[in-house]
Amino acid sequence: MIGRKASTLGLGMLLAVAACGGGTTATNSPATGQNIGGSVNLWAEWSSSEQQAFKAALVPFTTQTGVTVNYTSKGSTISTALGSAIQGGAPPDVALVPDPGTVQTLAKQGSIKDLTSIVGSLSANYGDAWNQLVTANGKLYGVWFKGANKNTIWYNPAEFAAAGITTPPTTWEQVISDAATLKASGIAPFSLCTDIGWPVADFWQNIYLKTAGATAYNSLSTHATKWTDPTVTAAFTTFGQLVGQPSNLLGGLNGSLSNAYPACVDKVFPKSGASPQAAMVFEGDFVANEVKANSANYAPGTTGTGGAACSIDPAKTPCYNFFDFPAPAANSANQGAVQGAGDVAIMLKDTPQSEALVKYLAGPTGASIWATAGGFTSPNKTVPSSAYPDPVTQKDAQALVNATSFVFSLDDLQGTWEPMMWTDMLNFLKNPSNVTAIQATMDAQATAGLGH
Amino acid sequence: MAEIGTEATPRARRRAAAVNEGGNPGGGWRDHLGSLAFLAPGAIFLLAITVYPLVATARNSFYDATATNYVGLGNYQEIFSTSSILVTFRNNVIWVLVFPFLVTFIGLVYGVLSERIRWSTAFKTIIFMPIVFSATASALVWRTIFDLDPHIGIVNAAIQTASDWVSPPGLYPVDTSSGQTVAGLAATGVSSAPKDSLESSSTVTAGNSIELGLIGVSPATLQLTGSQTAVVPTQSPGAVTGLVWRDFSPTNPTAKGQVLPDELGFAGLKLTLLRSDGSSAGTAVTDAHGDFLFGGVGSGDYKVQIDPGNFSSGFTGVFWLGAQSLTPTSSLNQTAQALLSVPLVDISMILAYLWIWAGFAMVVIGAGLASLDREVLEAARLDGAGEWQTFRRMTMPMLAPVLIVVIVTMLINVLKIFDIILNMAPGSSQGEANTLALAMYNFGFTGLGNWGLASALAVILFILVIPAIVLNLRRIRG
Repeated sequence: MIGRKASTLGLGMLLAVAACGGGTTATNSPATGQNIGGSVNLWAEWSSSEQQAFKAALVPFTTQTGVTVNYTSKGSTISTALGSAIQGGAPPDVALVPDPGTVQTLAKQGSIKDLTSIVGSLSANYGDAWNQLVTANGKLYGVWFKGANKNTIWYNPAEFAAAGITTPPTTWEQVISDAATLKASGIAPFSLCTDIGWPVADFWQNIYLKTAGATAYNSLSTHATKWTDPTVTAAFTTFGQLVGQPSNLLGGLNGSLSNAYPACVDKVFPKSGASPQAAMVFEGDFVANEVKANSANYAPGTTGTGGAACSIDPAKTPCYNFFDFPAPAANSANQGAVQGAGDVAIMLKDTPQSEALVKYLAGPTGASIWATAGGFTSPNKTVPSSAYPDPVTQKDAQALVNATSFVFSLDDLQGTWEPMMWTDMLNFLKNPSNVTAIQATMDAQATAGLGH
Repeated sequence: MAEIGTEATPRARRRAAAVNEGGNPGGGWRDHLGSLAFLAPGAIFLLAITVYPLVATARNSFYDATATNYVGLGNYQEIFSTSSILVTFRNNVIWVLVFPFLVTFIGLVYGVLSERIRWSTAFKTIIFMPIVFSATASALVWRTIFDLDPHIGIVNAAIQTASDWVSPPGLYPVDTSSGQTVAGLAATGVSSAPKDSLESSSTVTAGNSIELGLIGVSPATLQLTGSQTAVVPTQSPGAVTGLVWRDFSPTNPTAKGQVLPDELGFAGLKLTLLRSDGSSAGTAVTDAHGDFLFGGVGSGDYKVQIDPGNFSSGFTGVFWLGAQSLTPTSSLNQTAQALLSVPLVDISMILAYLWIWAGFAMVVIGAGLASLDREVLEAARLDGAGEWQTFRRMTMPMLAPVLIVVIVTMLINVLKIFDIILNMAPGSSQGEANTLALAMYNFGFTGLGNWGLASALAVILFILVIPAIVLNLRRIRG
């Protein structure tokens, strides 16, 4: 039967491959590019189209070094899976994890290797803000590969031009005054996404980051700062300057409450044939995917009014662009603080193949390939701007690279009380004057949910 | 129908047969070894998927979130002291009190109707069809029907059409429900006036002109009303002339008060000339360039009023799926609000659920009606009883068992209501529309991850359903 021959052949090939790949030359550290052969086991969270893009990014690595990459997609539960694998004694060689908290925990446990001797301090590749997140006890444990920016307010450049706003706002106060100008020109300033509350939480977290700073933000994430703290009240007050005025939001309060994601994006960047109903929408850089999905005609606007081609006429070219979430003028020191997400490579087994892979991931080649394919930005300074397909993505990447501090989304770190936090944010929206009671409720929920 | 409540149970019958044959009435399990062997696989399966989870859930309800540490009645205490969970009890009460009786009533009406109309088969098919659709699909459809935007939601569109026919909206509607104000339109030389109108800030006399600048309206809206570039008015003796224009220029955003070449006039605005005592001295409508003229004006100071009718927005949509309470509970404390509010979204969801289940009630009650003894009803009619009397005193009591079956079945159905809440209530209303089953799902199977609390909710739900099930079983056994 065919099956028997094939299985014998397959077994033979398997044995041959195993014999080739099992070298114990851990004492050698070949430079990147030297053909060493062998294989490396790699875990990351990406699947389907992202997996294909990642695999394409790794092709030069295999060509240069002859190392086969055995990639396994672990989905969003990768941190938990990694923990179990380490305990079980069968971890991968290299893994890309989506949160720096995991890196710190594993570093303290001694489960991952110090990368300083392999890649150096990487100060030429990443800003201090990024390296600090994956440094423990003065040693570097992670190499950042992918980053996402949640610090973006997306705007319709043609609407801004129609309102006579030539440059997007750079301070929070300008956002409020631009909102008044937009109202005068006859368009709703903001399309506020509410859904079950997570976009409102993201918005408020950005305000907190820009008013109180990254240190206070991280302190609040772990509940070392209480939710009844004056900095929290100040953030709510600032938020209230925008959302306390229902005329700033498309449809007022009820319109906002029925505004789910991604329908709220369609109100600013509608499908072809419809006119925009609002000028700005806040959410992370994944909004760009929704915009382009609405119509292939969307042109990425350049910094400024977006170019002469942009128009709100449904028959002409629509544009999209974003500006960095601005800090109030008094807190301009926090302007460079960025909230977002990212994937960082860690090494669990020190082999020449895994060292070569980590060095490759720290370089520009892999990231540039995925960047050109689209849907990817990297905090790596060595990735050239030209690798990104359009000026909007370039600007997005620049914001990541130049971040003076980088924090991860606060609500995702709250564990079981995260949905309650979202509901509290919606309650604030419904009644902005009720801040003190809401803060007290949030603090009690945080204590119950986090255990401290 | 005639068998309900009159047959002895199969077990009693077997016992009687055994006694009649002179055998041991107790049976003895050795005699039934064969049947037990056949029953065993099914019984083990049943035990595994119903009895074991039941016992495990009951056990977990006394443990903590990860089901490892014993917390006694802690979960139950938490349920009854957290207002967001008390909301679920209140919603379940609303569903239980309103839905079963409403659906039975509608089913009765349909059942009686379907007997008397000609196309009864087609009618019954149409009414029954919604049961075939999944509740999720129906929920999504109804969510669109109740959408806030009159361009999307049929309900709001219908109301808007009727409202616009009775009192048409103005050319430049200002939607006050979304926070916009008529006063916000005033820019240059205009101030707000009572009853949502605008008037000129300064007075004007015959032979002079006045310019009124407005903002807050987009060029797109102006183009739809046929507005063209604003033209500075010429003065005319014995008349008051003027211009109403959009005082906003994108090329010169800071220049206010002047009529710039790229600014549009407001066409079609209805104006009134007011004397100093407030009485009207004439009306006018602005032309395509925003210019107006009041002719035959006498001496004295006048103000120009922009009539409120220009800005009436008519009906802009009710947020049918919103969590606003129908009962006035906004001044109460959190727990009282949780227990006493009746969110509007509940009513909308009940309507959607009625659409889904009215067919079931109609079919069951229709069958009941069909099996009624016609001769008794004929006799009543011959005796001179009217239609309504016959219905109330003869049909209804005879139908009572059927009605109770429908009510109890729907009660059990509604106690575990879940998928329509999840799919129909928008994200912002989920908290207020929450029910016991949905809360159990959220705590157990989503990010909240609290097995103890979810198990406690499941136990409470089980306890609440027991009376209905006992009632049903009693009816079947007799």
